[in-house]
Amino acid sequence: MLTYAARRLAVMVPTLAIVVLLVFFATRAMPGDPIGVMLSDHSADLVLASRLRAEYGLDRPLGEQLGHYFLGLLTGDLGLSFRYLHVSVAAVLASGIRVSLTLATLALALAVPLGVAGGVLAAVRRNRWQDNTIMATMIGMISVPNFALATFLVYLFSIRLHVLPVAGWGTVAQAVLPTLVLALPAAAYIGRLARSFMLEVLRQDYIRAARAKGLSPTAIVLGHALRNTMVPLSTSIGVVFGGLLSATFVVETLFNIPGLGRLAIDSIFGRDYPVISAIVLLFTVFYALINLGVDLLYAAIDPRIRLA
Amino acid sequence: MRALAVACVLAAMAIAPPVADAKMLRVNIVADPAMIDPITYSELVATNVMRPMYEGFTRTRDDGASEPALATGWSFSADNKVLTFRLRDGVRFHSGRPFGAKDVKYTFEELLRPGNKGGLNAPSLKTIAGAAEFADGKATGISGIRVIDPLTVEIDFVRPDVLFPIYPFQFMDSGTVAELGPDWMTKASAGTGPYKFVRWTRGVEVEEAANPAYWGGAPKIDGIHFLVVPSGDTALSMYDAGELDYVEVPESSFRRVLADDRYARELLKVGKAQVNYLGMNQSLYAPFRDIRVRQAMSLAIDRAAMIKGLFNNAAIPLNGQVTPGVAGFHDGLPPLAFDPARAKQLMADAGFPDGKGLPTVQITSTAPFKDEITYLAGQFKRVLGMPVEVNVVERATHIRAMNAGEEALFPWGWTADYPDAQTFLGAMWTSGSPYNRTRYKNPEFDRIMADAQLAGDANKRYALYGEAEKVLMADWATAPLPITTYVALRKPNVHGLTETPFGFSSFQPVVID
Amino acid sequence: MIRRLFRDSKAVLGALIVAIVLTLAAAAPVLAPQDYTETDLGGVWAPPSGEHWLGGDKLGRDILSRLIVGARVSVIAAGSVLAVTFAIGVTVGMLAGYLGGPIDTVLMRVTDVVLAYPELIFAILVTAVLGAGLGSVILSLSLAWWPGIARLTRSLVLALRHEAFLDAAVACGTPTGKILLRHVLPNIVPALIVRAAIGVGFIVMAEATLSFLGIGVQEPTPSWGGMIRDGLEGLRTDPYLALFSSVALGVTILGFNLLGDGLRDALDPSVMDR
Repeated sequence: MLTYAARRLAVMVPTLAIVVLLVFFATRAMPGDPIGVMLSDHSADLVLASRLRAEYGLDRPLGEQLGHYFLGLLTGDLGLSFRYLHVSVAAVLASGIRVSLTLATLALALAVPLGVAGGVLAAVRRNRWQDNTIMATMIGMISVPNFALATFLVYLFSIRLHVLPVAGWGTVAQAVLPTLVLALPAAAYIGRLARSFMLEVLRQDYIRAARAKGLSPTAIVLGHALRNTMVPLSTSIGVVFGGLLSATFVVETLFNIPGLGRLAIDSIFGRDYPVISAIVLLFTVFYALINLGVDLLYAAIDPRIRLA
Repeated sequence: MRALAVACVLAAMAIAPPVADAKMLRVNIVADPAMIDPITYSELVATNVMRPMYEGFTRTRDDGASEPALATGWSFSADNKVLTFRLRDGVRFHSGRPFGAKDVKYTFEELLRPGNKGGLNAPSLKTIAGAAEFADGKATGISGIRVIDPLTVEIDFVRPDVLFPIYPFQFMDSGTVAELGPDWMTKASAGTGPYKFVRWTRGVEVEEAANPAYWGGAPKIDGIHFLVVPSGDTALSMYDAGELDYVEVPESSFRRVLADDRYARELLKVGKAQVNYLGMNQSLYAPFRDIRVRQAMSLAIDRAAMIKGLFNNAAIPLNGQVTPGVAGFHDGLPPLAFDPARAKQLMADAGFPDGKGLPTVQITSTAPFKDEITYLAGQFKRVLGMPVEVNVVERATHIRAMNAGEEALFPWGWTADYPDAQTFLGAMWTSGSPYNRTRYKNPEFDRIMADAQLAGDANKRYALYGEAEKVLMADWATAPLPITTYVALRKPNVHGLTETPFGFSSFQPVVID
Repeated sequence: MIRRLFRDSKAVLGALIVAIVLTLAAAAPVLAPQDYTETDLGGVWAPPSGEHWLGGDKLGRDILSRLIVGARVSVIAAGSVLAVTFAIGVTVGMLAGYLGGPIDTVLMRVTDVVLAYPELIFAILVTAVLGAGLGSVILSLSLAWWPGIARLTRSLVLALRHEAFLDAAVACGTPTGKILLRHVLPNIVPALIVRAAIGVGFIVMAEATLSFLGIGVQEPTPSWGGMIRDGLEGLRTDPYLALFSSVALGVTILGFNLLGDGLRDALDPSVMDR
């Protein structure tokens, strides 16, 4: 198991190196001049501009800049932000990481039980009204874009009913709407999978055997079928998590949450190359780690998988 | 299920409890400031956050006039080449150290020190004797600045600049770096203003606390939260929900605010010290070289419809390139008409009947002005037959391209840096100015403006501005566009908070019930 | 198969919605009652009326006309992305799966790199480089999506690799290209159709998301995502724009998803209940 994990991590390294390379060149290829952003309306001061360009190393050959960037990464130095003078990228990201991970974790913690419960209930009540209602809700949930859903919820709960704050981050009440907006589509995705996995499991011989032995349907579902549904379902958590990370771009922007997603959008518009690179890199690493974790978990729960 | 519970507890721990503030003023800013120190200071969000903390020789009153702040008086020599400032006695920095002539010299030298990122105020120092040598690293100090005594400073100029006392300098404490190190601005403020720095939580807020020792009297509130809220719509919703005490309303929300009676009592409207213009670069788009085409462009714009439809009447037309309220404004310019028939005739006279023979041109601006350029493009197409493409670009790209003279057609504006018409006419229309984005060049205009910079007598200067503006408009160098007014909302329990033509005030007189 | 599709009432509803959207898209220039670029500052945020059935936007442009042209933009974006991703993905996947060996390894490592990014984040990054606009939206979504198609195709081909009919064709000396086109491709088409049908909804949503964030389709071309963002400004006073464009987008994606589910059930009985 450990060897497997180590090998997977080793394979990840060259992929991530190429990811870094791509992000580096992508950010350099973006239109617009970061020095122009730093100087804002007064970017016509050419002397100051060239001085800044030299200070940030932007006048060096691209190869040299890249080498410097890689070396920095290896020593944990992500460089200086272009947009916030005097501030390191690490400092810009620090609080955002905690915020985004908290938000994604909350959403996942809500989506998984909700989705599994919905999916299992639909499977057990297959083709009855419960199934139809749940499935219709779920397909609706994955069809409505998160920004449309957020608009609707803000309109209803904040503007009409005045029960939840419009935006911001810091109180439990402020976390409710963004968590819901992130969790509902994820729950629908998980629920649809859970239902089909559960139906497949319910067709298996051992379930029929259990039923023949006279076990109650509830006991069968909760005692036997659920565990075997969770095994294939766990592999999809990586996809769900990737979707959640992407959705934070929209949700954090809409709800004015100081996380990495909003920071990424701001940084794209602000040409803050080092910050964009770092965020994409971080998200990619999170994503890779989650997928690795899922594979390991999968192996742990399903003894049939051999990690050769 | 246990994992879920753990996740919830962790999440609850990560989310801090709400903070209840008794007398804190909560206002919105659209982004984090790019910097928070007076040396690199160069942009508008930083202006709002720093104005309560830092002061210069003078400050701008709400009515647009200048009044003494850290200087109590100044005098020019007969040839205007030596300027002597008498500084205010008894002023202390936030650190407790006294303010004096040494800090003026220090601030100016830091602005120009090679390797420092001297910002907006650095170019204003170019005319001081010895400034160039110091900036090039050839001298250890600026020779033209002399500390006569702790409260008197004398400055020699290579070229006189009568506006020097009203430039928006921000003097900083010369002892700060020694005390707190090079990253001092993350720990404290080094100014003399009514508020001092507490903390900057990136992406969330900048917090400032009252300075009880302020020379102009201690503020009557405990402090200010500048909350970072990029979306104007969100800011307005937060104001509705009582999460903000004061909100500057973006143009896109004018309709929502102005049409709603419940805001009437909380509404503040004030003209902006800003000009808007349609940039037409004659070397990039050949038809603009014909004055008839330039005039036709202006005649094709329905300014009344823009003011009503785009800005809900919270805007005024501009007939020249100086805003009412800024010293040097002249009221006599003829109103700019919307006259499609005359515009069509002029185009035909210029050899482009119904736009035949006109090459395609792009009208460029940034996302917040998307509606404006979409409207203008439609108007030029419909009235003049001019093939115009809408080109929305990102702000930095736009500013760089404009400054490099690479954009043919663009609506843009200029916000006054100080209360004198020179801020508009000089920056945008004299040839050789780095911000002359249309590359307009008229020797007569340049000559009048050069004379104005030497005119110590204000009335003589204002008369020269009037002449220059007439030359500019007779040339149809640009088509002035309407300027929106500041629209802001203030909760009924907040008093003494005024919006000025120059943006936020220092918040010193604010009272919260 | 078709009959099974028609017995599924949800799929029929989906097909109906998709048919309407496609018709609107195809005939947009004819169906749009007014010029979608015509501004009228006298009629900004006009409520629905005889002149503007669904009202006017903040420049007084006809919302209905812009919605109809917006359908065309969505369909063009989704269609182009599907065409590009499947052209690249299926070719790469078949070559990798059929030829195996070093070619397989290299091609799959390339897909690894792209798949290492969450899809939308990759697309946002590419759009940021290329600049906003319909063309770059199509290109960025295609770049983000093709590796998934390649992986699917490869696995489908691998499953066929040892089927008797392929061995027979190889034994007869049929050239590789011909084997792939004549024998392999027809066998994997149903699964690919299902994947495409399920993917359309996500692509439409991704295009709308990019436009909503301001890095997608640009003025004066209408995109539903961009229209929703514009509409948010008027949500309290004049909710028509936000409302109608949200409904158009949501219903369209729902239609594609319903049809996709139906097609999957009909074409691929092994996953009938998913």
